[in-house]
Order: sequence, then C-alpha cells, then structure tokens
Amino acid sequence: MKTIYKILSAVLIVLLSSVSNAKSQFSMPEYSKTTLDNGLTLYLMQQSEVPMIDVNVVIGSGAIFDGKVAGLAQMTSDNLMFGTRSLDKKSLESALEFVGAQFYTDASLDYSELSASFAKKDQDEMLAILAEVLRSPRFDEEEFNKYKNRYLGTLKRQKESPNSVIRNYFMQMIFPEHPYRAVVGGDESSVEAADIKSLKTFYGAHYQPANIAIVVAGDFESKKMSNKLTTLFGDWKAEQPLPKRPSFKEVAAFDKPRVLLVNKDDARESTFLIGGAGVPRSNPDFVALNVLNTILGGRFTSWLNDELRVNSGLTYGARSRFLNYKEAGIFYISTFTANDTTEAAIDLALKTYSRLWEQGVDAETLKSAKAYVKGQFPPRYETSSELASLLGRMHIYGFDESFINEFEQNIDAIDEAQTKTLIKKYFPQDNLQFTVIGKAEEIRDVLKKYGEVTEIEIKTPGYAL
Amino acid sequence: MFKRLGICLLALAVFSTNAEMSPDDITKFQLKNGMTIMVMEDHSIPNANMYIFWKAGSRNEYPGTTGLAHFFEHMMFNGAKKYGPKMFDRTMEANGGANNAYTSENLTVYTNWFPSGALEVIFDLEADRIQNLALDPEIVESERGVVTSERSTGLENSNFRAIWGAVKNAAFSAHPYSWSVIGHASDIANWTLEDLESFHKTYYAPNNAVMVIVGAVDTAEVKRLAEQYIEPIPAQKPPRKIHTVEPEQKGERRAYVHKPSVSSANIMMGFHIPANTHEDYYPLIMLGDILTSGNSARLNSELIFEQQVADQVFTYIPDSFDPNLFYIYGVASQSADAATLEKAIIKEINDVARNGITEQELQKVKNQKLVEFYRNVAEINNRADLIGRYELFHGDFRKMFTAPDDFQKVTAQDIQRVAAKYLVKRNRTVGVLDSKEDSNENDL
Repeated sequence: MKTIYKILSAVLIVLLSSVSNAKSQFSMPEYSKTTLDNGLTLYLMQQSEVPMIDVNVVIGSGAIFDGKVAGLAQMTSDNLMFGTRSLDKKSLESALEFVGAQFYTDASLDYSELSASFAKKDQDEMLAILAEVLRSPRFDEEEFNKYKNRYLGTLKRQKESPNSVIRNYFMQMIFPEHPYRAVVGGDESSVEAADIKSLKTFYGAHYQPANIAIVVAGDFESKKMSNKLTTLFGDWKAEQPLPKRPSFKEVAAFDKPRVLLVNKDDARESTFLIGGAGVPRSNPDFVALNVLNTILGGRFTSWLNDELRVNSGLTYGARSRFLNYKEAGIFYISTFTANDTTEAAIDLALKTYSRLWEQGVDAETLKSAKAYVKGQFPPRYETSSELASLLGRMHIYGFDESFINEFEQNIDAIDEAQTKTLIKKYFPQDNLQFTVIGKAEEIRDVLKKYGEVTEIEIKTPGYAL
Repeated sequence: MFKRLGICLLALAVFSTNAEMSPDDITKFQLKNGMTIMVMEDHSIPNANMYIFWKAGSRNEYPGTTGLAHFFEHMMFNGAKKYGPKMFDRTMEANGGANNAYTSENLTVYTNWFPSGALEVIFDLEADRIQNLALDPEIVESERGVVTSERSTGLENSNFRAIWGAVKNAAFSAHPYSWSVIGHASDIANWTLEDLESFHKTYYAPNNAVMVIVGAVDTAEVKRLAEQYIEPIPAQKPPRKIHTVEPEQKGERRAYVHKPSVSSANIMMGFHIPANTHEDYYPLIMLGDILTSGNSARLNSELIFEQQVADQVFTYIPDSFDPNLFYIYGVASQSADAATLEKAIIKEINDVARNGITEQELQKVKNQKLVEFYRNVAEINNRADLIGRYELFHGDFRKMFTAPDDFQKVTAQDIQRVAAKYLVKRNRTVGVLDSKEDSNENDL
C-alpha cells in the first residue's frame, strides 16, 4: 500500500513448500513434543533473539466440517475473541492491547488456529487469557449479531477485488461433490442464516484437547513453560467423541475443458486462473514439484513471468502454484491483463505451459531453480513466529523435521530424467479448467474457444456455479 | 483476574531496549565516492540481505514525467554492461538469491535476499547496473505495458489506490507529493529515453545512496567488496534540492471518486503535517495509534463496535522528507453512508483535540511501541529496512534503537496539542469513493 512493488507476490512460492541452503548449515532448531493425559499435544521451542513469545494453537478441524453452514469454522474461530467466561469483549481487547499483545484466529479447509505474540514479561497473564479464550469462550449473542453484520459487509467487499475471490470460484470447479468445495469464509446467504447456537455446537464438537496442539516458541525456559501449560490445560476434559472426518473420494478427472466467466461490469482488466487438480501435502514428490513449479511460474525469471511480463508487457506478473491440502490439492496458473489483451494473454499462458511437455526442463534451468529454492528456504523459518507456525503445520499435515533437515539433499537428488516423469504424472495437461473475472460484454466471445462457458455475476451471493 | 489495567500504569516503563542487540552491533562507513554503508552481522540463518536506498522518489519528478522514479525502478532490472537484459535476475536466482524493489514518494529501494555465499555476486550485479545501466528502447516500450498493468491492477483491486491519488492531488497544489507514485497514464505512455538517461545520471549516483547489509556476513569482507565493486563508481553533482514548499492550506478541500462496484462508501482524509524530523512527528505517530491501533483504539471502538457505522478504519502516516499528510481511512458499514461516517470520524478527532486522552491510552501506545520494535528487529529483513529508514528519515540509524525511549517521552498533552493543531477542518482534504454518481438531475 505504501509502496509499489516490482513483483506483485511472485516472490512467495507455495504454502510451506520448497526449498534450503548451499552449505547445509540450516537445520531445525531443537524442540520438545509432549502429549498430556487428555490428548493435548505441546510443542516447545526456545528462541531468545528478542524477549518475545509466539504461540500457535492448531485445532484439527476446519471448513470441511462446516456442513450446511458455510463459513462455520471461520465464524467459530473469529468469535473466540469476543469474550471469555471472565472477560467481555472490551475487557479482553483492552487487556491484550494494553501490553501490545496480538491474538489472531483463522480457519482453513483442514484446520483452525489461534496465534498469539506477546512480550516475555507478560507471559503469565497472556497465557492465562489464551487458556480462557480456548477453553471458555463466551459466544455472546449480541456480539455475534454485530459481528454478523460486519462480516456480511466483508463478504460483499471481497467481491470488489477479483484477486481476493477468484480462487473461491476456481475451487468450485475443481472440487465438485468433494469436501474441499467448502468455502472457508462462507457466503452471504450461509452467514445470514447462521446463529450463535451453530457456533457453540461446532466449538463443542471440535475444540477438544485431543484435537488440539499448542506450539510455543520464543524466549522462555522449557521446563517452566511446560509446567505452566500443564497447569492451564491439563484438567481440560474431553466432552464427547471427536466427529469423524468426511470421506475423501479421489478427485475425479475432468471430462472436458470448462470456462467459468464471472462478470464484473466495471472491470478494467481480466483476472484469470487456469488449472486442475494438484497433490496433497503428503505427496512424496512435494519438494520436487516445487522446484518444477519454480521453473514454470514460481519466481521472477520463471517461464510464465518471462513470457507474459518481461517479453510481452501483457501483465505486471504471471505465476503458477500448487496448493496442497491434507487430502488433495490444486494447481493453477494465474495472471491478469487489460480487457482487450485477454485472448493474447491466455493464449500465451497456454503456449508457455505446454513447454513443460514439448521442450521439458534443461539442465541449466534445473540447476538454477534448485539453487534458488535452496537459497530462499531458511528465511521462511527465521523468527519464533515462523517456527511456531511450522510446528503447527507439521502437526496438522503429519510431516516432521526431516522436511527441514533433509530438504537440501531432497533438492539435490532431483535430476533431469526425473523431471519428465514428474511433469507427466502431476501437471494437469488436458481438459483444463478456467476461471475468468472480467467484463463479460468485452471478453465473452473470445473465451468460447477454451471450453464450455458458464457465465455468472460477481454480485450474486456466494460462489455456486 | 484480568481487570487490573489501572494498576499496570504504576509499572511504567523501565524500557531498556533488548540487551542482545544495540547500535554498536552496526558498523557504518562511507566510501570515497560518498555512499554510506551500514553492516550488521547476524548468523542465526545462513542468509543475508542487501538494501540500497536511493534518494529518488516521486517528489523528484515534474509534471509530464510523473511516475518516472517508479518506472526507473523497473528499468534497473533490464540490463547493464556486464549483465545484459534478463541477466540480473537470472544470475541472482541461479545463485540462490531473490530480489524486489519499491518506490515511494521519497525513495527507491532495492532489496536482495540471498544465501551469504552469494555476497560477491550481489555486489557485482549492483555495481554493474549502478555504473553501466543500458536503456534499450525496445525494452522501455515493453516495460511501459508492464507498468500500465501494474497501475491498472492497483486501481482494480484496491479502493485505497483508487481514492489516494485524488486526495493527494487535492491536498497539494504546489509540492510534487501532489501526484501518485505510479504516475499519470499519459505520462507513463510518453516519457522519453532522454528523461530516463538524465534521471539515472542524477539520482543513481553513489553519493545519493545508503546501503544496508544484515545477516550472516563478515563486516571486513563486506568492506573489502564495497571498496572493490562500488567505490570506483564516480560521485555526481548532488541533485538539486526540492525547494517547493506547499503553501498553507486555508480551507477544507474535497475529492470524489465514482466506482460502481463499491459495496459501501470509503473515506480518506488527509491532514497536512510536518516531516519525520519535526518534534511533532512522534506525537503524531502516537496519535495515529490512539485513534486506530487495535479494537480498543478510539475510532475502532466507537465507529466499528459501538455506532457500527464503519467496518474498517485505519491511519497511515508515510515516512517523509518534506511535510506530508496524516491519513485517516474508513470503510462504511453496509448500513451507513459516507456523510454519516465522515461526521463520526470528525467527532472522535475533535474529542481528542478538546478533551485529550487518558494516561492509560498513552501508556498502552508506549507499551505497543516497544513490542512493535522487538517484532520488527526479530527478522533480518525488516531490520535492514528499518536501519535504512531511520538513517534517511531521522538522520541517524541509532534513533531506531532509542525510538522506544523517545516514544516514552511523549506526554498526553503533546498528543492533544498535535490533534488540535493539525487535525482541523481548514487543514483537511476529504476524499469519498462511492458507487453513486456524483451528479444527478437536480445539480445546478
């Protein structure tokens, strides 16, 4: 906002994805893992660069459990911060903000989370509040109703920015009849219909000790911290059996290419995604795929950015990415261009993408991508907050520190021959799915050549196709 | 157990900044050609960064070439003598490095992030483009398209961007802060190669820059490389000073932007304030926090949660060499219109100006400033940026370390005084972004 960036966000590759460093100096800092009798898992990692403490609490349930109320996991996590047994919303906020603490809640498809950052000197008070927020949220009806009004406004506002909603539409195309079609943020109708009771029910079912891990990283002494957490959480009892996860069918192959055109009347540019199914986080080729994606669309000199931005000036940035969830994933190319260059940009994106099969990856490019992915890896896990978040994701997705410690050798092991196999196996080649947000009147006709076009209005609540 | 905020006031402020980090950990030196360099070793990860701050921003442009500083930022990646077109990025990435850059009203800043082993390559790349940039006319044309797309996507996706240009333009009648950093579309389409050549010679001179390196490096090695690669680049005549002083504003100004897809009105207010070096700067920063830092802040608490006339509200005070603006931004709730939100914001500001703030609010902001400092320095990337910004905007990087204490010295009276002095109607520009057309059949 303050500044104008050369690269929109092409610098960030995927979720946790990718990458380590040239001389293998980078390894996972020491941490401990314990499980309390009630099933709650604790991870502790001492880091003393600054006198601060970061907490990441992960709850192993996300929007896939929303059921009929889209956005339920999200709304439940948001409402945790609106007061506890002993503190109303205002007192809670005052207590945190007075000492500069930050608490943050969120939900995603697979899990929900609560993060906190506070000064070491405030740890006793902040941990006590954290325990209350998690164990005895107030779920006050009046606060919920006020929140609902604000949240409905947020949902409407999101649609003013194609960037912030285009993936929601795309996910509907990739995951029809699949738990991952859940819209994490919900939509105007589902939120309108939600009530405080549904939040309480969700909370009761999912916020249970055996479904939760608490990660604490920062400036503390592990033994004392462990005692404090045991005191705060050890007597938390499970109230009911944990709900069963929905069953995940294999994502069906697409029988034909489709185009979803989302009309935005005052659009000055077309924003689009092209792609298909990807892979889950647990895929053994996770790291290698990130190297390949780096070449295609994961860095400034990637093929897509080079062609669409550098060589042709059609856009400010073009990229591609794999997004990996617990049971499945997606892959897409993304960019934006002026209304009248929509066809040129899509054609060029497709032509560039086809290089994966037609030309493949040469030795020099592979070498460069491997160096890049390794070199950009350590700064992702530099601060306590980043390390806490890493441990939280390790817990949810079931990977361990070998991801960090063996990262470099996993990258080094990728050779040219292997890239061909990986491209063939994982990058969607046929029956691609397109989501385009733009001014339909000007781009409707050119989209027909890419597949069967369905047209909807961006102003229509929700994301249903 | 948590209802004891009042008592915390007694525990005030024995703020010693972090024991493990001090200004003495930073080595500062100047090359013979006038470039200032600061190095801070940090071996927590095997990486380092290099920031180069050029004193060249949109304030150094003129009507007809608005947006040139930012466009130039792009051109710095498009080829020099040793490393031709595309080779800057290709070489950096093949060595494990990544880069970016940003342009503001005051500066153009280049950022390189790399495994420490690549330090020499980074110096070589930077020296080449500083000394021997090649401006290829074909690449200039293609880059115009990129920047036009950047401009367009900002306006498409960000209401802030859409309204910001209009507010700046109304608030400044003389000073170059009047135009947006990205520039006018017709200027982007029309500046010439000569404009670019002269801009490079004038502003990309080593005596017009500050370099910061933080990370797993050896200070002596950095010095050696700087002397080898950067020092031979000749200094230039210093750029001419920006002498234009914005005349005092003597009455409210207004701007209106029509955007049909906006779901509720957005308001941006801008009030003229002095530059970073002025004694009122810290009180103004803290006033911004009193108004909008956190849900318990005045505007958030009152407008979002009590009156429910806003869904979002924030303040923004850009770092600045010359007197600039104190921004207040609000997004109306679904049930409120622009006029209601505007009145509500003004009422809260007036309350601070008339009745002041509480000691508890003051202490809250002071506490937040200290914690914010720790968060900022925890990461080598933010730390490098902050060191450079303090050196440039406050005249000395050491002030970054004394900032938490300097904020401690600000009183509740200071904050009331700056609110009453600057956040007043005659000094205000109000911009409204709304879905309704600003004309109707009853207009005269």
